[in-house]
Amino acid sequence: MSLKAYPEEWAQHAALRGAARRWQRRRQLTPAQGAAIEATYPLEYYRPEWWARVALLVVGSLGVLSASVVLGMLTDFKLDIGVGAAIMLAGTLTVLELNISGSKHKHYRSGLDNALLYCALLCGAVLLVRLVGERALGSVANPLLWRWLLPMLGLLLAALLRYADPVVAAASFGAALALLANVLLQFSAGRLLLPFAGMLAAGTLLLALRVVPQRADFFYYRAAYLTLRTLGLAILYLAGNYLVVREGNAALQGGYGPSAEIPFAALFWVFTAALPLVYVWLGLRRYDRLLLWLGVLALAFAIYTVRTYHSVLPPAAAATLAGSLLTALALGVLRYLRLPRHGLTAQADDEVRPLVNLESFVQLETAHVPAAPVPGFEFGGGSSGGGGAEGRF
Amino acid sequence: MPTLTPTDRLLAELERADLLPPVQARAIAEDEHTRPFSLHYELRALLYLGVTLLAGGLGVLVYQNRDTLGQEVITGLITVAMLACFWYAARHRTAFTWGEAPRTSIAADYLLLLGCLLFVVLEGYVQYQYGVFGQRYGLVTLLPTLVFFPLAYRYDHRGVLGLGIAAVGAWVGVSTSPLAVLHRTFDSQLFAGPALGLGLVLVAAGLASEYWRRKPHFAFTYLAVGANLAELGALGRAFDSSKAAAVPWLLLMLVLAAGLVWHARRTQSYLFLLLGVAYGYVAVTYLVVLGLSAIDKELIFTPLVVLYFPATLIGLVLLFLNIKQILRLK
Repeated sequence: MSLKAYPEEWAQHAALRGAARRWQRRRQLTPAQGAAIEATYPLEYYRPEWWARVALLVVGSLGVLSASVVLGMLTDFKLDIGVGAAIMLAGTLTVLELNISGSKHKHYRSGLDNALLYCALLCGAVLLVRLVGERALGSVANPLLWRWLLPMLGLLLAALLRYADPVVAAASFGAALALLANVLLQFSAGRLLLPFAGMLAAGTLLLALRVVPQRADFFYYRAAYLTLRTLGLAILYLAGNYLVVREGNAALQGGYGPSAEIPFAALFWVFTAALPLVYVWLGLRRYDRLLLWLGVLALAFAIYTVRTYHSVLPPAAAATLAGSLLTALALGVLRYLRLPRHGLTAQADDEVRPLVNLESFVQLETAHVPAAPVPGFEFGGGSSGGGGAEGRF
Repeated sequence: MPTLTPTDRLLAELERADLLPPVQARAIAEDEHTRPFSLHYELRALLYLGVTLLAGGLGVLVYQNRDTLGQEVITGLITVAMLACFWYAARHRTAFTWGEAPRTSIAADYLLLLGCLLFVVLEGYVQYQYGVFGQRYGLVTLLPTLVFFPLAYRYDHRGVLGLGIAAVGAWVGVSTSPLAVLHRTFDSQLFAGPALGLGLVLVAAGLASEYWRRKPHFAFTYLAVGANLAELGALGRAFDSSKAAAVPWLLLMLVLAAGLVWHARRTQSYLFLLLGVAYGYVAVTYLVVLGLSAIDKELIFTPLVVLYFPATLIGLVLLFLNIKQILRLK
């Protein structure tokens, strides 16, 4: 039995067909070549549109739920929860494995196999709780929690390696971070070290992920890789963000009222302000869209952080100023990049095509149109209005 | 030896399978490595954010500084900025066409939008502070309409068209903002009638622009806003009516929903299909509840829960599974 649940060719074929379609759009391939590629690399699995995937996920979960209810009814609800979870775990895993090896309709992240996998892991989690005792649960600081988290992390990692599911990848990272926090919180200095440990963990993950694109099985793990990279970059920033550290610190101390100042505040302010700029700069230097977008989001969060603790400008003036600066910046860059410079261009590229023209939807809620006044009232200001949706579906 | 990117490995695989001549594969790889990185959508998003922040900020700022020395300065600045925006857009205009005009300048597109937003800010403030239009409130709300629609058609701008539609909505007393529509339909009898009327007019405008090929790409905006307004207006009317009187409004909803599905199949649009199915489902469910309660008031609950909802749920799942065939995609 191979380590991977699904044949590696499936992901490879999907990637080849996607790339061929892209090159055909750019007229780098002839339609005949495109057709030949599609014929040579067929898709031998079932994965419908995303709506149907969501529907199948719900249907699959409901199916497992009703199966467990039936199991309960058969045993007159006297079965031990741990034994029940073990039976359900074995059942879901068997169906999941049979799907791949046996049947004609092979589900590959169709929603149905996702549902089975998540239900199996849930059963595994319940079984582990039963094995280590319920006292292990509760807060992150619970000294027994690691007994549950450690085997859980092992289970998640095994599932990640075998099924390469993005949700399982995210859960594994979450479990690893929780385990780290749990261990650190056992020491008196742990709370102070927590932000640094979080940054270190995220940084280690990002370094480790750098080898993944060079692996031959990259396409099999691509969705999980992208999820982990996004989360790693997000945690690397958030763990050092002043607001997160200060409020998190206050929450861990369990105090009420406004949060207290934290040690090393200056250092966290540096992280808050500098990391977004580093992200944006690296994103532009390395032509890395994920880094660029997360950098811009982090920048917005940094501004929010500053405005939470310091009143810099009244909101209206700040919006006007920020709006002018953004407009001027965007217009300037548009003009500067009319011809490609430094490997950057303002021209559209069909590599990224927005699903929806988001901009026109935002406008629905932000445009100010004077409303007809209610009789008997003076005309006062304008109420929010706006309309018109423009989008491509 | 430089490490191979995943794309390089795909090209190597195609070359190995004899599906791609080596020269072509090298050309594609070369292009993948040297093609400039596009910041197009990022810049557009920034520009959009800047324009809305600027107009929104000024809109508040001008009221906050009324009766101070700053008010003339701010109104003057807004006027200058608005005129500058319109001037820039006019300088970069393309020849008029009833089809979709080629987009030549992103900056001009967004500055036109900014100009229109500033126009609204300015007009509202001038009326508030100086009462230029006196008590003729109708004129206050009609004026943006008269400005925005010609601009939208002349400059081929769907954002400005949206503003124009919103202005008509304000004129007849209907907010076309999606959130406001949701909040207001169910508690205001005043709203349902105008919304239904305006919705039907907008739907007609959308169909007409498609039929006579007059800016056919505007049809999406007209139909999306119009259909939602009309359906919600009819639903509001149905809620306001007593039992039997609600039936015609529900039937109207069904007709509109059928129209949406017809349009969805014609244009292969997921959005319109979803809208049609959703409104149709609401109308049918309402009719079923009305019918059941007419037969026996006590026995509504069980048949609904046991038969109707499970059966329709299965129907919805089947719909999702066959959505491509329904839309005649592929």
